[in-house]
Amino acid sequence: MRTSPFFHFLMLGFFKERKKHIGVIAISLVILFLLGSALFISSSIRYSLNQTLAWEPDFVVQRTQGGQKVNAPTAWIDDLLEVHGISKVTPRVYGRYFFKAKENSFLIVGVDFMDEQSNKALRMMMDETDLKQFLKGDNMLVGEGVSTHLKTHFYPNGYTFLTPKGVFKKVNLFKVLPKKSNLISNDMIIVPIELAREILGMGEDEVSDIALNVPNDDEWDNVADKISAFYYDIHVTTKEDIKKAYENLYNYKGGVFLILFLIVIVTFVLILYQRYSMVYSSERRHIGLLRALGWSIRDVLKLKFFETMMIVVIAFVLGVALAYLYVFVLGAPLLREIFLGGANLPNSVILVPVLDFGILSSIFLIYAIPFISAVLIPTWKIAVTDPKEAML
Amino acid sequence: MMKAMIVIDNLNKHFKSGDDIFKVLKGINLQINSGECIVLKGVSGSGKTTLLSIIGGLDRPSSGKVLVEGESISKLPDLHISHFRARKIGMIFQHFNLFDHLTAAENVMIPLIPTGLDMHEVNHKVEVSLKLANIFHKANSAAGRLSGGEKQRVAIARALASNPAIILCDEPTANLDRNNSLKFIDILSQLHEMGKTIVVATHDPLFDTLPFESKIIPMEDGSLVDTFSKDTLAES
Amino acid sequence: MNEILLSNQVLVYLLSESILFGLLLIAFVITFGILLKWDFGSYSEQQFLLERRAYLTMTILLFVFVVKFLLLVYFVFAIDSLSLLVPGAMCAAGVISANDYGMLLLFLKLVILFFLLLWMALNSYDLRAKNYPIFRLKSWLFIAIFFIISIELGLNFAYFSHIDTLEPVNCCSTLYGQLEGANPLPFGLNIMTLLLLFYLIYIVVMGAMLSKQRVLSVLATLLFVMIAYYSVVYFFGTYIYELPTHNCPFCMLQVEYYYVGYLVWGTLFVGAYLGIVSSIMEIGLKEERKKEQTSALILLSIFVLLCTAYVAIYYLRNGVFL
Repeated sequence: MRTSPFFHFLMLGFFKERKKHIGVIAISLVILFLLGSALFISSSIRYSLNQTLAWEPDFVVQRTQGGQKVNAPTAWIDDLLEVHGISKVTPRVYGRYFFKAKENSFLIVGVDFMDEQSNKALRMMMDETDLKQFLKGDNMLVGEGVSTHLKTHFYPNGYTFLTPKGVFKKVNLFKVLPKKSNLISNDMIIVPIELAREILGMGEDEVSDIALNVPNDDEWDNVADKISAFYYDIHVTTKEDIKKAYENLYNYKGGVFLILFLIVIVTFVLILYQRYSMVYSSERRHIGLLRALGWSIRDVLKLKFFETMMIVVIAFVLGVALAYLYVFVLGAPLLREIFLGGANLPNSVILVPVLDFGILSSIFLIYAIPFISAVLIPTWKIAVTDPKEAML
Repeated sequence: MMKAMIVIDNLNKHFKSGDDIFKVLKGINLQINSGECIVLKGVSGSGKTTLLSIIGGLDRPSSGKVLVEGESISKLPDLHISHFRARKIGMIFQHFNLFDHLTAAENVMIPLIPTGLDMHEVNHKVEVSLKLANIFHKANSAAGRLSGGEKQRVAIARALASNPAIILCDEPTANLDRNNSLKFIDILSQLHEMGKTIVVATHDPLFDTLPFESKIIPMEDGSLVDTFSKDTLAES
Repeated sequence: MNEILLSNQVLVYLLSESILFGLLLIAFVITFGILLKWDFGSYSEQQFLLERRAYLTMTILLFVFVVKFLLLVYFVFAIDSLSLLVPGAMCAAGVISANDYGMLLLFLKLVILFFLLLWMALNSYDLRAKNYPIFRLKSWLFIAIFFIISIELGLNFAYFSHIDTLEPVNCCSTLYGQLEGANPLPFGLNIMTLLLLFYLIYIVVMGAMLSKQRVLSVLATLLFVMIAYYSVVYFFGTYIYELPTHNCPFCMLQVEYYYVGYLVWGTLFVGAYLGIVSSIMEIGLKEERKKEQTSALILLSIFVLLCTAYVAIYYLRNGVFL
């Protein structure tokens, strides 16, 4: 290989004195690993959420009383169907059922299996489910979190719900929902709509809320205004609102993490400054000799700069690769709880690998700029060593 | 007609330590012609090493001028003085000053790196100078494992690498036994024959009787004592 | 704290800019001290110390220059991704005009990069000479740059803390589109005359550079940058988007257009900067800068070819112009 003598010398020095660099590379790896993992997890979650939200209906109409959501009357459905531009009005029945033994709750979702499913997410989850068989008795489909929870409490084949009327209702576990939908289905129980009403204690003419689609995006604002004017106690939420709320939540979690991380970076910079001041002062004689042999300040700066860049690049590549392995291959044990935490059943979401320029460049900049800045002044100090040091 | 290689004009150097000013060199005037060999003799502290450093562009004078081939080097900016050191000066230090973890060849390569030559030319020059210093057989040995004499020869090869016109030696035999010192003088005479301008700062009496034409200039307390030429050829 | 400031990319960007500013502050203090005591003729220890210190300024400025360049790309990229958070914004155009600081900030960034490049050129000249002939000039230039960068830092924070995530902004079609027949082009030009000027000035720039008409080449290049900007936004851009009403300098930076915007604007600005800086050096310091001139020529030609190619390929494929 034809290299320039400069790089030849750079490599020689770098590898023959690699012990000097190992400490710094190790600290760098830890930092890059933490940062990379956090950003990978949060961006992957955001990606999955966006995927899931894409299936959500455009609008959700709820009834509110005193700011609290209450059940809406089925009569609303007919009114909504009157509005131009609205398609696929779907009544939804769902609610939380508290599992007394451990203060955990399940999300009961009632599905009208006679209707065509407007919610693609549900449709996807119930793919490969034999509906005829399912509807024959009191059956349920459960998310993976629910399934494990029930198993640990010795309900492997079904569960007996206690309805608000004080009646016991035994429901068989029919199937576990596919794992890929875990982000939303983890604590979910899907049952036929009548059964859901019974378990949740809702009347025949009540629904939890009403979902609807407006195919023309430009009409969203108009339709929202129109619906809001129907009743005094109606509340309309758009998909955009939900999306932004999630976006902000995860941006926020990532941002808070990053701010905490700044403290780490500052410490890192101080350590580096100290460390390099020390390392370089031990090289004083060597550098003085280089200078005596005809190296200019610029040549030494160049040498030290490339040395620093090599450390930065090596640590970056290794650190990011480790974080990638940890998050997307091992599934980010421990750290994921910070981001997925708050869910009441342990969730085992599969993190979908997401790797884009934004994340990589962010990791690189937040690591490399403080690093090089910290090394800059010690580097200059050593580069201006007097050549006469070699004579001493 | 000999051409003036180095002209030193009323050179002074002093150090400040606290309020005291410590004069190391006092009004030195000296002309060294191309191809001459000058031996600066004096006890340690006489200022010969400092004079050598200033001639080599490693140190700066407090006042006065050093002209090398007609150009003043004393106020050159770093880039140019370094360039000057890399191309015009071959330096041989008292303690060899080799990088112990590098091989002999790699040590010799160092002064060639900032000259911007490509790898092929650099390797060629390294080979030539290692052969000149008669140490080519140890090219790939780590410098730290070499004997004193071998180290000295690597140091000579390094000084010759960029084919400089001027060779400066600071106490070159201080760390050598008598045998190796004599070998060093042999190489020195070869360099003299190649037409190099040589300045040696030493207190070693061996240099009183060099086997080739040389000029011994004793130094004392920062001044040149006297200049006289001595032809030792006849005696040998 | 608003959600914009907590967005990862904005945080990273602001942190990076702040660190750079810290370094520049050190360089500023040093340079100011050097300017007060600089006396190249002196043999004093102090003068040699100052010469060594000047190297710290150089190191910092070189680092800042490289990073500022990368950060400009990152900035545009970050702004583009913020368009998800800002209602109404479809690309960076909407986000950058979310408040009054955005456009000014972007403009300042371009100005700063130009002056930093000029400083680099002056510095390399100064180092190559044997007596630091323009040391004071370049130091004052740095002090001026430092003040501009201070303003820029303030603008950075002002800009990002004043983006409202509830108030909808305009998208690029409203910002750059031709509303009610109003002509957005300068000097009352129409598309035809704009294009004529575009190619004409390009030829003048080439001619001036090749025939070493330095003053002419600086003026022509400046004019070319301006005309090229309008030409890309109002003509060539429409061929990149393949939509005659899409006038936007930012959308082409997105993945849908293979990030070609970075290449378009990069070749234009880097080419023009190199051309102008090297011409200024030749006028002021009478020094041949062949390499930079050649690079400028090549980059600007790539820019013109690239723009033209979009139109040509569209025509070849569809048999009509937009």
